[in-house]
Amino acid sequence: MAAKFEYTQAEEIRDVFARNGVRYLFIGKSGAILLGFPDTTQDADLFLEKSAENGERAVDALRELGFDLSDDRANEIRRGKDFVQLKNGPFDLDLVFAPDGIETFSEAWARRIEVEGFPVCSLDDIIVSKAATNRVKDRESLPRLRAFRQYWERQRRRGG
Amino acid sequence: MDTEPPSLPEPSPEQLREWELEFEAAARRPLRQRFKYAFIRTYKPVLDDAPFRAFSTTREYREWCERNLPSWLGYGREV
Repeated sequence: MAAKFEYTQAEEIRDVFARNGVRYLFIGKSGAILLGFPDTTQDADLFLEKSAENGERAVDALRELGFDLSDDRANEIRRGKDFVQLKNGPFDLDLVFAPDGIETFSEAWARRIEVEGFPVCSLDDIIVSKAATNRVKDRESLPRLRAFRQYWERQRRRGG
Repeated sequence: MDTEPPSLPEPSPEQLREWELEFEAAARRPLRQRFKYAFIRTYKPVLDDAPFRAFSTTREYREWCERNLPSWLGYGREV
């Protein structure tokens, strides 16, 4: 079992993915936490643009980060599986190429929020995705997440 | 996968006020510190038992979770 996800590891993702030109967004609760949502989670979820080129770049970046990707596993990422769960590296990572409730990466990218250089899905997209997923754990977190969105919007209007 | 899920009750005004205080407290902390409190690590049976899984579709992944994970982990539509 990998150690818990640390801020320095998020920085490594940001820097290594940028260096390799990977198109991605933080999504899910890890994305909400980057936006200031006070809650707990276990791993980071990344929404990656689904293209052969981006898959290739992601494989290079993940290997650089220390994930143990055999050629077969790398090919699964390159071929664009919709969901890849990595527990073979320095931290756990979920790669989501087709999140529930979000039509296209480019639309989500246009709505993204940057926090300290981290590209993050908008709160609306995070909420829409969780609502569409409709798992018990997502349903439980939605009321608080929606309250946070209201708080966050108020703060933004105030320039906070 | 097509049944309507049970909806949670709306949060009470007291609950909303309590959350608001938590949001304000979090906003006063730097991101690095928020990370320290936010990311935890506990063993999740079945889910943590394979180093790599790939699913052709997100729906396939959701169905795998429904079939294979203990319901109390919350990855399914019902507990």
